[in-house]
Amino acid sequence: MTTKNEPGKTYLMQGNEAIVRGALEGGVHFASSYPGSPSSQVLGMLGHIAEDQGFRAEWSTNETTALQSCMGASFANGRAICIVKQNGLLFHSDTIHCGALGGVKGGLVIVSSDDPDSHSSTNEFDSRHMAVSANIPMLEPASVQETKDMIPYAFELSEELEQMVLIRVTTRICHGRGSVTLGEIPEKRPFTPIGIWDRMVGINWLHSFLLEKLERAREAFEVSPFNHYMGKEDADKLIITGGTGMKYVQEALEEFGKEDEVGVLSLGCLWPLPEKLILKHLSKASKVLVVEEVDPFLEEHISAIAGKAKLSIDIQGRADLIPQIGELNPEVVFKAVGEFLGEKRECCGEGCPAIEGVNIPARELTFCAGCPHRASFFILKQALRMEGHKGVVMGDIGCYTMAGQRAGQYGYHFMSCMGSGISAAEGLGQLTNYGFDQPVVSLCGDSTFFHSVVPGLINAKMNEANILHIVLDNSATAMTGFQPHPGTGQTAMGYETEKASIQALCESLGCRVWKADPFDVEETKNLICELIQMKGLKVLILEQPCATLAAKTRKKKKVWVDTDICRGSNCGCDGYCSRVWGCPGNIWDFEKNCAAIDEVVCVGCGACASICPSGAIKVEGGDE
Amino acid sequence: MYSILELERKVVDTGICTNCGACQGMCPYWKSYQGRTFVDYDCDRTEGRCKYFCPRMPADLDALREKLYGKDGCEFIPELGPFRALYLTRAADPEIRKNAQHGGTMTALVEFALAEGFIDAAVLSKAAEADGTLDPAGCLVTDPAQVRNCSGSSFQIPPTLAVLNEALAADEYKKIGVVGTPCKALAVAKMKAKPYEDNDNHADNIGLVFGLFCGWGLDWKGLAALGDAGHVDILPSKFHRMDMDDRQVDLDDVLPLVRNACKYCDDMTAEFADLSVGGARSSEGWEVDKGWNQLIVRTEKGQQLVDLAIEKGVIETRSFGDEDAETAAMDKLMRASASKREKALKL
Repeated sequence: MTTKNEPGKTYLMQGNEAIVRGALEGGVHFASSYPGSPSSQVLGMLGHIAEDQGFRAEWSTNETTALQSCMGASFANGRAICIVKQNGLLFHSDTIHCGALGGVKGGLVIVSSDDPDSHSSTNEFDSRHMAVSANIPMLEPASVQETKDMIPYAFELSEELEQMVLIRVTTRICHGRGSVTLGEIPEKRPFTPIGIWDRMVGINWLHSFLLEKLERAREAFEVSPFNHYMGKEDADKLIITGGTGMKYVQEALEEFGKEDEVGVLSLGCLWPLPEKLILKHLSKASKVLVVEEVDPFLEEHISAIAGKAKLSIDIQGRADLIPQIGELNPEVVFKAVGEFLGEKRECCGEGCPAIEGVNIPARELTFCAGCPHRASFFILKQALRMEGHKGVVMGDIGCYTMAGQRAGQYGYHFMSCMGSGISAAEGLGQLTNYGFDQPVVSLCGDSTFFHSVVPGLINAKMNEANILHIVLDNSATAMTGFQPHPGTGQTAMGYETEKASIQALCESLGCRVWKADPFDVEETKNLICELIQMKGLKVLILEQPCATLAAKTRKKKKVWVDTDICRGSNCGCDGYCSRVWGCPGNIWDFEKNCAAIDEVVCVGCGACASICPSGAIKVEGGDE
Repeated sequence: MYSILELERKVVDTGICTNCGACQGMCPYWKSYQGRTFVDYDCDRTEGRCKYFCPRMPADLDALREKLYGKDGCEFIPELGPFRALYLTRAADPEIRKNAQHGGTMTALVEFALAEGFIDAAVLSKAAEADGTLDPAGCLVTDPAQVRNCSGSSFQIPPTLAVLNEALAADEYKKIGVVGTPCKALAVAKMKAKPYEDNDNHADNIGLVFGLFCGWGLDWKGLAALGDAGHVDILPSKFHRMDMDDRQVDLDDVLPLVRNACKYCDDMTAEFADLSVGGARSSEGWEVDKGWNQLIVRTEKGQQLVDLAIEKGVIETRSFGDEDAETAAMDKLMRASASKREKALKL
């Protein structure tokens, strides 16, 4: 991402880079985030340039602290940007609602990245509902260029309205690439002292001001450059879209050769909707197709606008021509547009994946080679089986969420949102005092621990929970790409900071804490058995650094299979390493019908040697 | 169906698993913890030794008996199985008798068999740790002097055969003796019959099988809850009690702890052994029998060992008295054995 001040020059950029550039061109003073895909990289990039560009960028312990920090910076008329994913937006919803009542001073922009199809999420929530609920303005870019351009616009709007502004982006915008013509990077504006009678207070008597601001936003949106009309004027057939939908629709219409017969209204201003602009086009149409990511948000609000105006229009979208769930793609939109136009063609012709078929073998998500979580769940399952299958495992959000699949031996019974595992376990565990006789185990990672488990742990301690809480401490926010967290001793801008100790924190609450190494399979297994049988709240920290991190610092050991000893698929083994343990480094030699190591994938942790029933897996060299 | 699933459903889930260990020690899937056998991961083989070795999986016992005892020339008594002779015996060494449940015959015989080369290793069950805590595990012994550490009974059923399977797989010892309850003797008989052609786990390395009379075994957790004990003994029925070291436990408190699996067992005398040892129950009564064993010799190999042990004065024998008394003792034993069988079948 370029930090050069070269207005008018064009660069190829990823959507996430465009967010960074947009913040820079918007004169940002403060940026904060908790990592979450698809926008995980943004704050990292901001952190790299923050020092030179004279602003503050930081990773927050969670999204609520991130947004609240931004509000603080805004109070002194600083411009602040908060980057979250859809779950993060939900996580700080109280802050948005209360913050919106109080309004802002310096421009405050929240970028929320949605993950349609939940490629790297547990859900595909639609951020747009939050703007409606909190009564704040919302924008959505339709291209990488717009992503960059919208941020300075949103800062201006935010200051004009004294209200925070939400920008919704989606995976294909964040991870897609496009040409971006740069704007000017302004001089940093000085802060404004906070006077004795200056206030930023969220209280209900400001409710009417909140709605007034929204009406002013609507007026601005009626003339915003981010709403586009293309194709036939006064069209009978109108397609309304926004975000990624615009390009998909344009492509489909070109393919059908109908660009000039249909009207396309692409909305970049999503809330409040520019009603006059929409009505102007609706009033000429008899058929409308709405193309949008995830929920029928535009579809329903446009139906309401049409209804209020007593228009009789056939409005179709997510509920009819486009599948109700999942991500838009060229094929889905092509099909929907085709049906809308009464065209018979099912796909765009030769070369279309719908005809050719894309032959990609289906693969499950799994832990990386050498991942300590694999060992942790391997052990946990064994320990629970030793206890007679009765233990209930309450999971949480992180790499270890994949433990719900084969990678983690289908290792948990419950998984909801960040920080939920321990509190759900607390509630379930209390029932053991009333006749429920299954041991309860909860899990979290180190980053999740700091994010939202701490209040749950305090709750568990206060209420004398009867649970075993396991912290899978791999010294990293691994899932999203190794962003610093309070336990890593680093900040987004690269400064060293004092590491927060999970153990000390737990002990300060009066929790009994044990530590173990998940690669020490037998010892850790016995410890878990012991702890499960013990009454009360127990905290076990399973420490072993993320394999991807460790691979950078640790000398790789050579791991190999002695094929003379390997029992192969025979009775007595049945491919235990590759079939059960399941590390991608443990592969199968079909010619010799025995185990093998994929030297390219193997990180040389040697953990599989300890689980091989015949001792056929050998480890040589490396640091201990 | 996968072997392990079949075994899990038919034996473990139904509660008829005795935790003998026959399925263990061969693969990473079957394990035992605190007296309970379980499988932690699925093996996807449909043919596996585990299901063939399990004493609780269906088998043609007549065919098995014919295969293992058919050429031995022993008698067959329906209540007692293959039979040559019945003795009243005890260890000659009073040091052995001190720690024994009854007369220490088993300890003396195993020690002697090792010393004389009848066997080159023995798979035994540890009754308890030196401090009295329960440790339900088997152990492999090659030094006769170590045999005494396994004297006595704790009335639990350790997965002893897991140790046997490991020792067989190692192929280091060629005449491994095994001491075990009737379920274990049956499992070992199944192993000797080599039911799984691809891999017999060196079954030919199995040596003499020393059977233990067994009424039932106790649930590990229940027994652990009764407290640690180095020496455990169930007294004859009229006493209605179990002794744990110096403590006396009312049998009513013990019977609920009997393993469910044992309630379905119809073998009291370990019929698939080479010789079987239990507490003496002659017609002369408890006061006389106390400190004595009764010993059933079944096979020729077993007879050779016992004859030599008597000749060398390792075990002492006591006469039943006259012929009527011997018949009465046989009757009593047969009745006791038949009674267990009836109970098992009635359930």
